[in-house]
Amino acid sequence: MNVVFKSTYYTLYQSTAERRYYIDFGQKMVRISLCELLSLRHKIMSISIEDHFDSDLNSHGFEVLMLCNKEHLFILNTLEVLDLKTLIDNGFVALGLSARAGALI
Amino acid sequence: MKDIARQSMSIKVESMDLLNGQIKMEAHASATYLAMASWCEQNGFFTSAKFFFKQAEEEREHMMKIFNFLVDTGGNPISPEVTNINHDYSSIVDVFESTLEHEVKVTKSIHNIVMKSRELGDLATEKFLDWFVLEQVEEENTIRDILDMIEVTGTEGVGLQMIDTHVANWIE
Repeated sequence: MNVVFKSTYYTLYQSTAERRYYIDFGQKMVRISLCELLSLRHKIMSISIEDHFDSDLNSHGFEVLMLCNKEHLFILNTLEVLDLKTLIDNGFVALGLSARAGALI
Repeated sequence: MKDIARQSMSIKVESMDLLNGQIKMEAHASATYLAMASWCEQNGFFTSAKFFFKQAEEEREHMMKIFNFLVDTGGNPISPEVTNINHDYSSIVDVFESTLEHEVKVTKSIHNIVMKSRELGDLATEKFLDWFVLEQVEEENTIRDILDMIEVTGTEGVGLQMIDTHVANWIE
């Protein structure tokens, strides 16, 4: 398996033989297809991080994230959400599916 | 490292995000035209209602065209949430003026995606949107023609009834 990108808490791997990806969440390794990775990207990018700093909108500062068609469930704090966003952003750039970071800003 | 990601997906995720935004916009347009059809029915503009029912269907077809393009390119099309649909219009002129404003917004959005896909070197998305660019010229022209007809006809006396009758000329 090749490392695609490593963030502070998480690592994205590619298994060419299996044509799958793996994300090491620390306590758990998740096997994931590209479709599921795209779905994870959509979920993580849809999280409003600003809400974490408003106790009315997100009183606990946690996000519940379900992956791979509800096979896995994670509870992430603000720093973990930001780190997962970094992993996904840079992971897609490394996979060649995203333009260089900031190209569309 | 073998490029298995590229083998599964043939457009950039940035294009995919913009196209998902466009899916939402087309769905919103379809729902807006349905609201306009409802207003026309309730206010006695039955031909205009038919026109907007047809427009609503067309916008949904546009949405599905983009949705299927994302499926074909291995992307992740997102079924859109549609909220904040206006059902209040002050007159039939207001309905058509709002329609033109909406179409101009859609045109600008399409042009923006074309420019961004060009910037990304995403030729597939750019070429795919050619049809939409020309379609928007036609859509805007139709509504402009109707607004011209309204101006010529006027809204006094039987004007409103004549306007509604004449809208039939733009129902294909």
